[in-house]
Amino acid sequence: MAQVDLENVSRTYSDHVDVHALRSVTLSLEPGSFVAVAGPSGSGKTTLLNIIGGLDRPDQGVVRIANLNLTSTPPDQLADFRLRHIGFVFQAYNLFPVLTAMENLEFIPALQGMPKAERLRRAETLLEMVGLAEIRDKRPNEMSGGQQQRVAVVRAIMTEPEIVLADEPTANLDSASASVLLDMMAELNRQKGITFLFSTHDPLVMERARRLIRLKDGAVVSDENRDPEPAKAAR
Amino acid sequence: MLFLSMAWRNVWRNRRRSLLTIVAIALGLAFNIFMRAIGDGFHEQMVDNSVRSHIGHLQIHGGGYHDDPGLNKTLPSPDQVQRAIERLPGVRGYSMRVLGDGLASTAENSAGVAIVGIDPQQERTVTTIDHGVVKGEYLKPGQARPILIGDRLAINLKADLEDKVVLMVQAADGSMGADLFRVVGIFRSGSPELDRGMVFLLRHDAQTLFSLDGRITEAVVLLHSSLQVPTAQEVLKAALTKQNVEVLTWYEVEPFLLQFIELDDAFFYIIVVFFFVVISIGILNTIMMSVFERVREFGVMMALGTKPRQIIKLVVEEAFVLGMTGVVIGCSIGVAATLYYASHGMNLSAWGEGAAALGMTSTVVYTKLTAANLLISDSSVLAVVMLVGLYPAIYASRLRPVEAIRHV
Repeated sequence: MAQVDLENVSRTYSDHVDVHALRSVTLSLEPGSFVAVAGPSGSGKTTLLNIIGGLDRPDQGVVRIANLNLTSTPPDQLADFRLRHIGFVFQAYNLFPVLTAMENLEFIPALQGMPKAERLRRAETLLEMVGLAEIRDKRPNEMSGGQQQRVAVVRAIMTEPEIVLADEPTANLDSASASVLLDMMAELNRQKGITFLFSTHDPLVMERARRLIRLKDGAVVSDENRDPEPAKAAR
Repeated sequence: MLFLSMAWRNVWRNRRRSLLTIVAIALGLAFNIFMRAIGDGFHEQMVDNSVRSHIGHLQIHGGGYHDDPGLNKTLPSPDQVQRAIERLPGVRGYSMRVLGDGLASTAENSAGVAIVGIDPQQERTVTTIDHGVVKGEYLKPGQARPILIGDRLAINLKADLEDKVVLMVQAADGSMGADLFRVVGIFRSGSPELDRGMVFLLRHDAQTLFSLDGRITEAVVLLHSSLQVPTAQEVLKAALTKQNVEVLTWYEVEPFLLQFIELDDAFFYIIVVFFFVVISIGILNTIMMSVFERVREFGVMMALGTKPRQIIKLVVEEAFVLGMTGVVIGCSIGVAATLYYASHGMNLSAWGEGAAALGMTSTVVYTKLTAANLLISDSSVLAVVMLVGLYPAIYASRLRPVEAIRHV
């Protein structure tokens, strides 16, 4: 069970002027949630995801995931935590261009030390499941944007992490591809109980999320829980 | 394995840049191997020429002879020395000689000479003087007081075959010795020093001339390999420990030769270091560019859980791929060029005089390929490439993922 708790989390970026990316944000995510964080550009969505994912540290406040205090965890341990508990999906897909779809999927399990046969078995099963078996040996530059993003989602869930953080996952997709991607993530959430947290501008994502958190100027301005029941298979 | 495969493909993302770097590594290495092989071949020929022209691998004299030669410092017991040499492993040949100085005169001219009394058959197993006879013939037992003189000495003395040469010496008993010899052969060793100032007599004639009465001044030993020299010296010293003799190696007899080789090696290594520095800058540039182009990718890798040391490993593996490809190609070129000139030789006749001054009897240098050359050249190039790759690797590993992911 990966309960996510943020208590009074603030993050300020100082360049020439101070930019308050997050201001005293307090929120909890239940295991198996399917949550969208919406808000205008600069509202702190990406910063919130980065802090939950252990990529960035708050200036104030505490972030706990499954009882691990991320704010006081050393960088090497944080890398290990991300490897084992968090999946990332990026707006620009960010697949490794020199690797095929299968090899991209193998990357995280290989880092975890999973045997090759098991990696391949999982990758093939998941590619089959999301209807991408035919592109298994293609490199990212041979795939469409929608295919790349679906592979990126599969990469994120290859080792069945507890939380997947998706930063504007549909931003570069047409509505049909975005819909297919959301169906896929909703299904994974339902089947495997993985928590999904999206940052988004996309009304389609907001519509499909079971909880919608709105940010403005780094603060939570609304938190709408449409379906209090988390996915049944929640871990 | 996935990382190594990634490293390989990353190297070929910018094919032209990587190829140029590999070509630079390969040519640098090939040059290094080839130049080292020329040096090794040249040095070996120099040593071999010196060893085979006169000095042998080891020399045994009466104690103190080398520092202050004299006819009174003959071997105390030549038979025991001969037996010790015959028991020594790895001996290719030996020669028991009588040495002394004197004045050689003809009707036309005279010159100071070093006189070497030899057993022609024995001497043949150690030196190549017999091959250097350019006129007449080599010494033969039974000839009536024959003398073999160098071609330059022949010119100085205005002597030719069958001409008479008078040798005047101070004998071991202090008396003046003089004898008439007849020129049976003229040799050219390639060493101006020998050709101008050395004559060979039958050992018995020399003993008579110097009143040495069966005594021997020098035993010269030729081994199968110069690598055996230090061990053979120790064995002989141990065997002759009770005798007042000195056992000297060729490099103790001719320290100038060893010093020249060491100096030549030092210059070579200075050039190699300079070369490596220049190549390293090129390699560093390639790997740094490759890292700068992939900042975002490294950010993603770290976000997904790749640890800094794994990033270092990936970049160093990329450097390894570049280096190893360069080493395979460069080594092949270097070995091919070396083997070609090892069998065909390089004609350095343009520098013939200089080569002769260094004791070279031939102006054709044969390159020599050694395992040490390949091992040291290949591993040092690979080590330099990977060491150079370490800086960009550490740079990449220290990127902050949250910033790197946003990098455009």
